[in-house]
Parts: sequence; structure tokens; C-alpha cells
Amino acid sequence: MVVYALLVSLFFTLLWRRERKAQIKLFLQLFLGMVGGGLLVAYLMYPFPPGPPAPIP
Amino acid sequence: MADPADADSETTSDKTSETTPPAPVRPPVGNPYLAAVLAWVIPGLGHVYVKRWRRGLAFLVLIVAAIWIGCLLHGNLYRPLPRQPLSLLATIGAMGMGAPYFLLRSVFGYAGDIASPGFEYGTAFLLTGGLMNLLLVLDAWDIARGKKD
Repeated sequence: MVVYALLVSLFFTLLWRRERKAQIKLFLQLFLGMVGGGLLVAYLMYPFPPGPPAPIP
Repeated sequence: MADPADADSETTSDKTSETTPPAPVRPPVGNPYLAAVLAWVIPGLGHVYVKRWRRGLAFLVLIVAAIWIGCLLHGNLYRPLPRQPLSLLATIGAMGMGAPYFLLRSVFGYAGDIASPGFEYGTAFLLTGGLMNLLLVLDAWDIARGKKD
């Protein structure tokens, strides 16, 4: 998840921003948002039991 | 008698036109069609064509890294499946990576492994690599037309 967030954050930072300061700001927003959001959703899902495993065809 | 609402709207539009700077006009850098095709075939090549060398190289590294990690995790490289229309959309997304998709499928015979523990993560990496490259196609197109720096 962290590697995925790193790749995607870097990609959109380079795509959307040109100035160094704005790049760093956007990178941190995206990266921390994805990692923090992922952990938050995982924490919220914690009380729910997992379903049965999917059958492997 | 003038309607106050009209006066307000005029004032607002005047302010907007005063505060919004006109978009800078840039000369076209190259053929946008060629830039888009190059960007699709090899990730980052479209940016190299429009003389954004460093950015193109960075995009190449990022997208190849996403594809490589996806393959290491044995993710699914989508292809159209009968009676599964959504697989067509996913295939278009994955094909966005350009030449690597066809190389992986035809030359290396890559298909992914659903029994692998990293299958879902790998699929996300592969699909993201394709979708990111589709965005690069649009970006290279805009740069070539002079609409973007």
C-alpha cells in the first residue's frame, strides 16, 4: 500500500505541478492522504468479520 | 431603471476579468498526434518528443516500476472475457500501458496467477500503470498543442 501510494503520488505530483514547493506540498498531501486514508478505512472495517474465501476456479 | 441584480452581475464579471490573467499562449511543440501515439507506445516517450526529457524519463521509471511490481506479484493482465463486459473496460485500462502490455502477453506469455497471494495487489499495480499512461497520452497531446507547459 505504501509503495503504491508512493508511485501514484509521485506520478500526479510530476503531472500536475511544476514548481518545487508546490510539488512537495502536493506529494505530501497525496501520499499521506492515501496511506492515512487506507489505515483509517482498515481501522473502521476492523469490527466486521471477513466473509468466506472466494473459490479458486 | 436598471435592475440591481444586473448591476451586481456586471460588477462581478468585471472583477473576474480584471483578476483572471489571460492564459499564456505557447507555440506548438510538435505534432500532437505523433506525441500521443509515442506516449502510448512507450511510457514517457511522448514527453521526450515534446522536449520534456526529465519528466519523460521520470514517467518512464514510474510506470515501468508499477508494471514490474505488478508482474512480481503475479497480478492479472486483463483481457476481454466472454459474458463479462466489465473485463473489456479493464482491458482497455491495462492496454493503456502500450507496448509493455503486448510484450508481456505475446512475447513473455504473462497471464498472472490467481492463486498467488499478491494477485489483487499486482492487478491494481498493472491496471494503474495502464491508466497512468493514458493520462500521459493526454498530457503529451496538450503540451504538443501548446496548451500546457
